[in-house]
Amino acid sequence: MKDPDLNDELSRFEDELRAWGARPPRTPASAARQRVTARLSLARQPIPWLRLAASAALVIVLVIVTWVGAPGPARESAAVARGSFPPPVDPNVVVWVLDSRTTVYFVLGPNGSAKGGVS
Amino acid sequence: MQHVHETGEPVPLMSVDDATGDLVRAARGGDREAFGLLAERSWHRLVRLARSVVGELEAEDAVQDGLVAAWGRLGSLADPDRFDAWVSRIVFRRCLRANRRQRGRVSLDAVPEAAIGCDPAASLSAWQLLSRLAPRQRAVLHLTVVEGMTDAEIAPLLAITPASVRAHRRRARESIARLLQGGKS
Repeated sequence: MKDPDLNDELSRFEDELRAWGARPPRTPASAARQRVTARLSLARQPIPWLRLAASAALVIVLVIVTWVGAPGPARESAAVARGSFPPPVDPNVVVWVLDSRTTVYFVLGPNGSAKGGVS
Repeated sequence: MQHVHETGEPVPLMSVDDATGDLVRAARGGDREAFGLLAERSWHRLVRLARSVVGELEAEDAVQDGLVAAWGRLGSLADPDRFDAWVSRIVFRRCLRANRRQRGRVSLDAVPEAAIGCDPAASLSAWQLLSRLAPRQRAVLHLTVVEGMTDAEIAPLLAITPASVRAHRRRARESIARLLQGGKS
């Protein structure tokens, strides 16, 4: 925009914009305040305790979902009956169930003993 | 950053004073009068911005709607001292929405073609030229030219980066120049 005439016109436009844009609103600020305040009684402001209640409800739902999703004693025994779980083993035995057909047993030897092994 | 008040005296446009924060905190507690005071203090500035984006007819409605929406969202305002910029963003979004509605009804470009005559500066009003620009370009031009704000001050108001502010302003000025030249030829 090196055209001096154009720059003049742009400056004129900005002057006009400044005058146009700075005009006061048609509604005075005090009247606007009354109108806005009157509308506030119709608008609901979110109440903090509502958020708190919503969060509490979410936690309760999560707890229930977790509890229902976890294997209960009845389901666990049914799973054992189906063979999904390995039979109970000695406390010195560590069991890794890699998949439904592969179970690895680590037998821990007594303190200081080199005995032990993997089956 | 200053603007000229009705009385002709320059007043700070975006003063971050304690009173604003206090009023916001009171309003958050449900004090409607405190929010009314905030609305009164922001009114002129917000209407000036809205007028540049949606025009005279819809500006005040857009600002009122924006203020009522802001009341409902006060809880999401992280820093009460930044109320001015925050509420400007809400009002600006309302204006964009109003603009989309306007486009569906009457085109903003519905400036009489005859008005783009041989002496554009004389025949085209500021709004007629401004309405030819994209809404963000109008807002940037308004905040720069009318409010005298810097890019860093404009950016958070429009939720864009200072680089975008510069780009919008450059494109706005190019478009205005084209319109002025078009009127000449």
